[in-house]
Amino acid sequence: MADPARVKPETGFSETSTPAQRSKQSEGSGDGPVSGSTSSKPTAVQTNTKEDKTKSAEHTAAGEEEEEGSSSLHPPPAKKLKVEQDKKKEKRHKVDEDEIQKMQVLVSSFSEEQLNRYEMYRRAAFPKAAIKRLIQSITGSSVSQNVVIAMSGISKVFAGEIVEEALDVCEKWGDTPPLQPKHMREAVRRLKSREQIPNTKHKRILFH
Amino acid sequence: MAEEEDDPGFEEDTEDGGNGIDSGHGKRKRLFSKELRCMMYGFGDDQNPYTESVDILEDLVIEFITEMTHKAMSIGRQGRVQVEDIVFLIRKDPRKFARVKDLLTMNEELKKARKAFDEANYGS
Repeated sequence: MADPARVKPETGFSETSTPAQRSKQSEGSGDGPVSGSTSSKPTAVQTNTKEDKTKSAEHTAAGEEEEEGSSSLHPPPAKKLKVEQDKKKEKRHKVDEDEIQKMQVLVSSFSEEQLNRYEMYRRAAFPKAAIKRLIQSITGSSVSQNVVIAMSGISKVFAGEIVEEALDVCEKWGDTPPLQPKHMREAVRRLKSREQIPNTKHKRILFH
Repeated sequence: MAEEEDDPGFEEDTEDGGNGIDSGHGKRKRLFSKELRCMMYGFGDDQNPYTESVDILEDLVIEFITEMTHKAMSIGRQGRVQVEDIVFLIRKDPRKFARVKDLLTMNEELKKARKAFDEANYGS
């Protein structure tokens, strides 16, 4: 399995892509190392070729840019726009690569316990089938796969927000980790006051 | 160690999120127990989180999904849930918005990569 500590630069892309891949493959099992390992290899191969393509595209874009700059003093607006877009793409690639490198440096310095936690953080996902069943039971009609992907993604972020807030509450009240229901409830109350929890049940009458 | 819950038999969903969420969906089978445990550990909780906390979180997540689905059904194309509606509803929340964009982009790239891979195989 792709051990985060031993991730090489080429497979940096595959690491970020595995959550989407994993969340599609695993159904019902939160962390399935077997399914994870069998799916990561083909992904790594494909994303390797994909990243090579993007890298070579970057080089050709840089080459084109140099030629255009030296050939004419006043490039027409269409060319200028294209050059700007290429520059932005380059910047985005560089920022991505920087971020990937920083992440690798960070992950390589993790302790055993931190590695475990990080692995759980990346791997845990809601089962697609259950989410699809839940949404379809509410709408009464079928939903596309993208909807299920989007919904399980934001639900995970939502769960993360609550747990993080609850950990803040726990620390503030001088308690220790296994989170208790009182921490969760206080976290929900705080998030509600910040309007981060959707609530359409209470209708507020504006002009009474 | 674990705190006792208030009003164990109270079934109604009241405004006070705590009461309704604790006991409102007691009868339904737990859908996400295993996954939520791993998730809570990943987000910073203990390796063995309390079952009551996991239950509360599951109820919250199900309520969140329900609310989003209802809202998505009421905008855009009525009665259907589409990705654009979800993205629209999430637009104000930077974290969730960025996450959805990332997931959908990655999904497209994976589909393209898989297609290219299959076509390469088909050729040979």
